[in-house]
Amino acid sequence: MSVEPTRRSAAAVPNVARRANELALPLAAGRSARKRRWLLWVVWFTALALAATAMLLVRSKLDEAHVALVFLLVVLGGSAAGGRTLGLTLAVAAFLSFNYFFLPPYFTFAIANPLDWLVLVTFLITSVVAAQLLHRATSTAEEAMQRTAEVDRLATLGAETLNLPRPEDALHAILSVIRTTLDVVSCEIFVQDPEQRIVLAGHSSADVDASRTLTRPDPAGVEPDGKPVPGFDGDAATGSHGLVGWIFTHGRGAVELADGTVRIVDDPAQEVARLEGGDEVRGLSIPLAVRGETVGVLHMHTDGRLTLTLEQARFLDALAYYAALGVERGRLVADAERAEAERRLEVLRSALLTAVSHDLRTPLTTIKAIAHEIAEGGHRDRARIIEDESDRLDTLVGDLLDLSRIQSGAVNPALEVNTVDDLIGAALQRAHALLRGRTADVDLPNDELLTGRFDLTNSLRALVNLIENACRYSPDGSPITIRARREDGIVRITVMDRGPGVPPAERERIFEPFYRPRGTTADVRGTGLGLSIARGLAVAQGGAVEFAPRDGGGSCFSLLVRAANDASPAEHELDARAAAQD
Amino acid sequence: MKVRRADPGLLQIVSMSGVTVLVVDDEPQIRRAVRNALSAGIRVSDIADGSADERGQSRTNVVATVRVLEASTGREAIDLAATEAPAMIILDLGLPDMAGLAVCREIRRFSTAPIIVLSARHADTEKVALLDAGADDYLTKPFSTIELTARVRAQFRRARTPAAPSSEMVISVGDLTIDLAKRRVERAGELLHLTPTEWSLLRAFVTHPRQTLTHHQLFRAVWGSSSGDAQQYLRVYVGHLRRKLESDPVRPRFIQTDAGVGYRFEPAPDAAIAAGSHEDPLER
Repeated sequence: MSVEPTRRSAAAVPNVARRANELALPLAAGRSARKRRWLLWVVWFTALALAATAMLLVRSKLDEAHVALVFLLVVLGGSAAGGRTLGLTLAVAAFLSFNYFFLPPYFTFAIANPLDWLVLVTFLITSVVAAQLLHRATSTAEEAMQRTAEVDRLATLGAETLNLPRPEDALHAILSVIRTTLDVVSCEIFVQDPEQRIVLAGHSSADVDASRTLTRPDPAGVEPDGKPVPGFDGDAATGSHGLVGWIFTHGRGAVELADGTVRIVDDPAQEVARLEGGDEVRGLSIPLAVRGETVGVLHMHTDGRLTLTLEQARFLDALAYYAALGVERGRLVADAERAEAERRLEVLRSALLTAVSHDLRTPLTTIKAIAHEIAEGGHRDRARIIEDESDRLDTLVGDLLDLSRIQSGAVNPALEVNTVDDLIGAALQRAHALLRGRTADVDLPNDELLTGRFDLTNSLRALVNLIENACRYSPDGSPITIRARREDGIVRITVMDRGPGVPPAERERIFEPFYRPRGTTADVRGTGLGLSIARGLAVAQGGAVEFAPRDGGGSCFSLLVRAANDASPAEHELDARAAAQD
Repeated sequence: MKVRRADPGLLQIVSMSGVTVLVVDDEPQIRRAVRNALSAGIRVSDIADGSADERGQSRTNVVATVRVLEASTGREAIDLAATEAPAMIILDLGLPDMAGLAVCREIRRFSTAPIIVLSARHADTEKVALLDAGADDYLTKPFSTIELTARVRAQFRRARTPAAPSSEMVISVGDLTIDLAKRRVERAGELLHLTPTEWSLLRAFVTHPRQTLTHHQLFRAVWGSSSGDAQQYLRVYVGHLRRKLESDPVRPRFIQTDAGVGYRFEPAPDAAIAAGSHEDPLER
């Protein structure tokens, strides 16, 4: 799989990024909750003090039951709002003030009536049990709610992430969620390419310029651009180099400690969450497994201490699973693409065999026969045929080479500013022999020098093929028109003939290699590659070749190239430099 | 190999009726084909100077004596070019021991003989690099022997006529009259207005007739350096110039396109380009 880290994917997934922030929020909320808790304690102790003071003022009219009930109310309220610890503390405080203020002898902790002990102890037990029960109920409910919300958010994130058009984007989105949520410096996913080499499939790092994080020793032993380091042997014994390779083969996770040691564990996230102080964690490697097979490794690293709460660990495991699915999806997509490419290659290969056996052998047979004829004393003028047939072979070899270049993606267009005058002029020159006996009208805008940003050699070949095609499939002597016009951001160069046209069912098939329309006569000596090469070369430089029927009969084949933005910037400056040369 | 320096005086005499050509190709059949084409297709009038006419008009149409040296490797080619001082070198790019570009550069260090390069298809960038490195022309394999001899003759003609007309010259090609000194161009008697850039381009063209000038060479001739983003607009300037000079810019008569390589100025056959010394802006 060739999934490369992409920077632009971050922009392509704003939705997921936003979701990531929502997800990060409840986990980060723990910090501000601590501050709020202190406030709660102050509020509820004030409430207890106020209740005690109010009852003290009317003590003579109250009996013990009233006091116990009011205090119980405060304890219950406190534990509902502030949790168990506050509830229990309030219970003890209420117990003490009950004793001190409201049980005679007043303002001492002594108790005159032994029966008051019963009241007091009952009160304490009731408050403690009530606080406990209340805490359990609320926390269970809260936890359930939190989980629901978390599951909900994860589900949405997962669906959105996995729905991204490109698997690389999904990985990138997951990585940036992990990085921002857990506040780590860098976070990356490694996968194995079809040759079992470990490559970086995506990374997210705190720096816009990722160089800082990538210059440190890389755990995978790969270069930042995804090429494996030579001599990488995947052995865990060599230190952090090759750790990722080790994880791939063994499917276990690793926790990297600040002192440089690596601890192999089965569940690294949970392991980090369980660590209480002591060991300082710097990095974490989690195997990404789908159906028991390790498809990737998620690695994260931080400069300071890496800590995880249990929720964060759970969250990380869930995201790691999504990442695993993302990697798997990328693999499946790549597999499907490869299969499709292989299928097309197979089709081409069989067509190629046919072509080689027929189209190449026909001229060779002629050449051989005539050479023999001449050797046996035949007329020397017959040698002219050898020359013609050689030219035909040359054309076919050239076409086959071009086709294989296109099919293997080896066309490297040099996009440069060129004039359409040049393109059409050179094409007419090349197609000179075929155009013999015809008029070729050129229709260009009068007032404008048309310019485009295209590869002249490739575009020339494409246009010549279109002109040749028009000549081959239209009656001898019928005129051909070449028209060029600028359209919104493109230049359209159309070759128009008065041939029979193309039936609708064949309008796409004519661009397939070796396809010749039915009823093609033997004297149409094309290779059947012209249109397919024209289209391939045009597409390779971001253009196109299109067919349209022509009004009044015939065909229009258009070569589309990108228009040049500005014909001649800084003209004055260049003129000045040219003048200075004199 | 025996190394001996050719006596320049002797060479002068030989060049009146005969000429030495070095053919470099690792394929013996191609060397043979080139040798046969050259020994049959070059006439004395192609190689001899105009002043040789006094030896008799009839002789100029006689087939010239072409001595063909053959080399199958780059190393051998460089040695022969140095020791035999051939008047022309035909150089194949697919040599077993050295890159064609390196051979070309090496030969150019001591020889000014025209170099015609033979190359396979799909090598436009290579062609450009070779022309920039000092090759004079190129032919794509497979080529016809007619084309080869035509190119060879053209190179001989060019080598014979002084490289560039003087800057004082008035040049007439077709309906164009170009006055290099007064910087005036007339087309059918009508004065054309050229921008400084267009003028510099035209001057580079007319001072290098029948020679393919690469984009790089043109840019240097016009703007003095090959740096800068503006290089890409060279073709646009050529387009503007053509629209002023040519009656049909798509079927140009004077400024021909060598697709992927550069441009070539083709003066009409009756072009009156007079002799004279001139500082060559393309001097390497």
